[in-house]
Formats: sequence, C-alpha cells, structure tokens
Amino acid sequence: MNNFGVIEVAGPKTTRAPGWAYVPDSGPTPAQALQPTNRKRVARNQGGLSSSDVSARQDAKIRKDLEALDRDTNKDVNIPIPPKSGSSRASNKHTPNVRKILQSQKTFANHLDDYQALLALAETNPAAAAALNPANVQPPKPSAAPTPARNSPAPPPPASTPAASKRSAAAAKRAAAKEAKEAAEATLQKQPPPPSPSAETPTPAAGPSTATTDVEMTDAPAPEPELPAAAAAEEPQSYPPDGTILPPYRRPPPPSHPCDDDPLLVSHVPPFPTDDELRALMTAPPLSYLEARAARGSDEARYPARVFCEVCGYWGRVRCVKCGARVCALDCLDVHRQECVTRYGL
Amino acid sequence: MAGGKKSRASGPAPPSRTLVLDNGAYTIKAGFVLGDHTDEPRIIPNCLARDRHRKVYVGSELDKCKDFGEMAFRRPVEKGFIVNWEAQKEIWDREFFDDKAPQRCDPSETRLVLAEQPNALPALQLHCDQMVFEEFGFASYCRVPGHSHTTVTPILQGRPLHPAIRRLDVGGKLLTNHLTRLLSVRHFDMRNDPYLVNEMKESACYISLDFSSDLEHSWKGTRGERRPSYLAGSAGIARDYVLPDSHTRFHGAVRDYDPTIRKKGGTAAEDVLTLRNERFAVPELLFRPSDVGMRQPGLGDLVMQSLGALPVGLWPAMLANVVCVGGNVLLENFVQRLQREVLERVPDVCIVRVARPEEPVVSTWRGAARFAVHEHVERVVVTRGEYEEFGAGWVARRFAGGVGVDS
Repeated sequence: MNNFGVIEVAGPKTTRAPGWAYVPDSGPTPAQALQPTNRKRVARNQGGLSSSDVSARQDAKIRKDLEALDRDTNKDVNIPIPPKSGSSRASNKHTPNVRKILQSQKTFANHLDDYQALLALAETNPAAAAALNPANVQPPKPSAAPTPARNSPAPPPPASTPAASKRSAAAAKRAAAKEAKEAAEATLQKQPPPPSPSAETPTPAAGPSTATTDVEMTDAPAPEPELPAAAAAEEPQSYPPDGTILPPYRRPPPPSHPCDDDPLLVSHVPPFPTDDELRALMTAPPLSYLEARAARGSDEARYPARVFCEVCGYWGRVRCVKCGARVCALDCLDVHRQECVTRYGL
Repeated sequence: MAGGKKSRASGPAPPSRTLVLDNGAYTIKAGFVLGDHTDEPRIIPNCLARDRHRKVYVGSELDKCKDFGEMAFRRPVEKGFIVNWEAQKEIWDREFFDDKAPQRCDPSETRLVLAEQPNALPALQLHCDQMVFEEFGFASYCRVPGHSHTTVTPILQGRPLHPAIRRLDVGGKLLTNHLTRLLSVRHFDMRNDPYLVNEMKESACYISLDFSSDLEHSWKGTRGERRPSYLAGSAGIARDYVLPDSHTRFHGAVRDYDPTIRKKGGTAAEDVLTLRNERFAVPELLFRPSDVGMRQPGLGDLVMQSLGALPVGLWPAMLANVVCVGGNVLLENFVQRLQREVLERVPDVCIVRVARPEEPVVSTWRGAARFAVHEHVERVVVTRGEYEEFGAGWVARRFAGGVGVDS
C-alpha cells in the first residue's frame, strides 16, 4: 500500500519475537512487558543495580571468609575424648552444674549470641532477664561499682537484685563513663601543647632530644621521674599533686642549667590526674566483651581500604569485569579468568 | 586483707602449694609455687590432636608424635576463653590429677591461680568457677588477668585500668588460617595440615617495616618475562621452604632462596615452596586488619584508642613503657613496627619505648606466679568454703571487684 512515502515504524500492534520488541511507553512498565530483553551486554546495561549487587555479594564473601579464618580446621572434625585406662577419678559423680557444663557443646559464638540476647532482653524486659539468670552473675559490674575496695568479706547479697536498681546502676555507670570521656576530651583540647615525655619518663638516656644536644648532663640523684629543669627552677611545686596513689616527687630537683630560661626549651607538662580520678580508674569494673572490642573510628574511614591481587598478593589494580575480583595485571587476570569461567560461566 | 584473715580463721590453713596456670588457646603454661620457690613453667599444647592413623594425642602427649601430616586439632579454648570444658577437663586431668600425671597435685590441698583473659562473658566465668570448685575441688582459687588474645591493657601500679582495655580480634590462629588460604591458592592445598602451616608461620614470617617496597620487590611483573629482581630472589625476601616428606624429615625447614632449583624440574626429591609476599603480608593483618575486610583498627590505632580512655597526664608514662607479651611478639620486627606505628600517631615530643621480655610466651605466667606469693593474693582469693557458703554469684562479684587500691 502506498502510504505517501511514510514508512510506519511502530504501530499499535505489538509483536513478540525473541530478542526484541516494540513496547508502547505507558508509564512504569510491568516486568512482564520487559521480558524479551536484549541478552547482549547485560553487565553494561544493568545500571545502578549491579554495583549494589556486586558489593552485597562481596560483603557476603568477606563475611564467609572471616568466619572461615576463625575456625580450627577447614572441615568439621569431631575428635572424641579417648577412653581412660583405669583412672581413679573417672568414676566420680558429677554435680548437676558440672554435668551440664561438661555436656554442653556450645561454641564461643553460641555463648556470645546468648549473651547478646540476654542484653537485649534486659533492655526490654528486665524482670524476665533477671529470672532467666538464676545465678545472677550478670550484674557483677553494677554491684561491684560502688564499693571501691573489697577488703572485707561482704555479706552474701540477695540472690537477685531488683531489676530496677540494676538498670539504674548500669545507666549511672554509663553516664559517668560518658562524663569522664567528655572531660578527658575537654582537657585534650585545652592542652594544645602535647604531653612532653621528658617531664616524667624514667630518664630515657637515649632519647632522641638528648642525643642531639651537646650539653653535658648530670645524672639525677635517683631514677625517679625527673622534673623539667625550667619548671623546677620557676616554682618548687609538688608534682604530681599530693596524693596517696602516686606520691609526690620529694627528691631535690636536678641542678639548674644556664639554658633553663630559654623559651624554646620549656616543656609543657599535662596536668596530672587527681587522686580521685585515679582511684575511679583503678577500681572501675571491667568492660563487657562487646564494649572492649576495638571499633573502627571515624579516623580510619578517611583512608581507603587497601586491595590486593587475589592471585599473587600484589596491589589489586585491575577489577575483573565479571565478578569484581581484583587482580594485579594480565598474567594474574588469565589465572583468574579460568576460575571465574568455571564459577560464573562465559 | 580482712577477707584473707577471715577465711584463714574459719577454714583450714591456707594451702602452701599454688598451681599457677596460664591457660592459653594454643599452649598451657603451668607450674607450682611453693613458698619462695617457683618452678620453671612447663609448656603443654592445649589440644586434642588426631593424626592420619586416627591416633589421638592429649596435651603433652603430642611431644611423642612424629608425623604431623594431616593432623586435626580440637582446642578447648576459643579466643582466650575456656569454652569446651569436656576437652579441657580431659587435658587437665591428664596433666595434673591422674596418678601418672607429669605435674601431679592434690587439688584439695592446692591453691589455683588462673590467668584469665579480660572482659570475659559472664556465663563462661560462671562455668569456670563451678568447674574449679565443684569438679576439681581446689582449696582456693583466684583469677588474674592474662593476655591470650591481642589486647591492650594499661597497667598502673600493677592494676589493670579496666575502662581502657581494648581488644583486637586477630590472633595467631587467624594468621595461620590466612597463610593456609594464601598457600592453597598459590601452591599446594594445605588446608588439612594446620600444624605444618603453623610451623611455617613461626619460622618464615616476619613483620615488614616498609610494606609497599617489600611488596614491590616481591612482584613478578605484568606478563611474560619475570622482573630481574624477582628472579634474583626479591631483594632477599624470597625463601625456600622445604616441606616434610613424612619419611625422613618430619619438620619443615627454611632455606635461602635458590633460583637454580626451579630449572632442575620436578625431579627433586623434596617438595619446595617459595615464599615471597606471604612472609610479610600475613602478619601485616595485626596492623591492618582491614586487608582481609575486618572492620577493626590495627594495633597502632588500638593503642591510641586505649590511651583515649585515660587522662592525658598518664600518657607520657604509658607511652614510654610499652611491653609486649605473647606468642605473636616472637615474629621478627614486631617491636620495631609497633614502636613506629605508635610514634606516627602521638605528638612528636612524646617518647615511645616498646620492649619485649626475653621469653614473651611465659612472661604472663611469671607475672601470675609472682602474684601468687604477693600479699595481695589474700584479698582476691576465694576458698572452697566461701564458695559453698555464698554461691557462684558472690564469687563472680568478688572477682569483678579486683584488688582495689592501697590507701
């Protein structure tokens, strides 16, 4: 049919054919309409989806790898206890507690999960948590906090502390720790001149600063912490302040030196913690397992993670198009391709 | 003081003999303290091991084993905490309580001083207390802080400052497993030979003082021709490691790199691995755990985080007296590298001194042994009578209190 030279490109009729299709554009398309997609260049056309996909896949891989690194053997081996040959202790009766412990096949990860579950339960439902915990070993920290020195045998406390007091004690402890941290940060900012070690390190004779200067040094009378000469000349203060935990320095100051007044040589000594502060530090209860774990600070996030070639261990400079693995150069890429093909296909 | 007096008055006389145990994940360090006399500690492998003929070795029986190929291990201690008491009891029984035990003692007349990893889970501590008193029946017992994993513990006048203790979840086992993985990708499948890989790690690995240049030296090149420095042995980094063949040699050996060995072909009677960047990339995890994707800071940052929890006035004294103990410290250059890492992070007027004792493996044990004869031990020790009277919860709270402060 002569159509006055106009060639119809797309009509209202849709044709289904393998590989391609004309689809009328009517807003967000259902997945069904997109089904006959172009099979070529899938990786390139996936757009934003692929990067998150790949990173999720890599995250899972890293997590699996780390779990494998923590294990004793690559396979699950079960080594039974060898039978004893006529031992006197073998026939001993166990107490119920001991029997329970001996039969427990929990791993550390199981115990850690239990502990986390208990903590979560204590947050939401303290009474249930206390009931679940008959031996009441959970609150050693809060109950230990108020008594600084346990010199006298305390009378046996009640079998289970009221949950409310446990909670408030924990909260108070947390607040105190936070306060102390803020105070420490404040002192840090107040003291832009950093702590000078020459002030109270036990006379490191081979210190870099003393090695470079050409001054003849007289020995201090004892290997006690040495005062900076300048500070000592100005005022015979008691440093650290009077306290019983760290007694003040009472020996005669080192002999004065002609350069004592030189402003370049004055060292700044950070304020010494008070006795109360030290006492609080020394009697503070231990942190829990999770609190003691070192966390990545915001500082380290500034540096990019180092990546290595998965084959030879050199810097990972090239990324495999297919799976995102890092390799260093063509040689290792060839090795990687073989593995990649068997895993993901061509 | 008062506690010690009371327990002495109420119960029998305090036991004169003390068993000091540092129950590590890899080895137990054990010895007796009797009055002023302190034995040398004995180092016992803390594992049940099974060789390829399915013979099982318990604890120090492992010394009789010759062929360590395809050895499988079961370890009662995970991450420094005693988790599997079934296995641990078997090892303790054979080492200390059986009739033919090498270090035999009667627990009812012995005091136990057990080195314990800080920040333990309460459930595991409870298990430990219950086992010590109810199963073994020690006369009295106390736990002292040990250092089995990688922890930074600031110490003032002999007491740990608990709020500033930080832990890094990288230990010797993780390093060994990482080396196993690298070797299995690049050379032979070593996944069934953890003992051999551990030997290799101890003898061949070192900590790099200049990581990027060492890595550059050990690179083979892009394609085709190898770089000349690689062929010449990567500037002294490459080492040949001779694997045991289970007939004449039962232990591996490190050798200097010999480039002619490869040209002889595979006819050589020995299996040789050439270790290059595996030597320093594995222990590097201690300082950069992010290299395997762990979201934790390295040792240098760990020290700084610990310092951050302390008043600034204590910093100079802490930085000038850093002591490293434990098995990983035996790696070459550990002390120098840690000193360098810390030095980079603190203000440059600070003096940083890092040292290690002569025997870093047993030094924790020596500390515990000295504590066993110290006057303070009476303050923290718990007798069996007290345990039976007051219960496990009281014991846990008492240990959590620590030594307290002199005043």
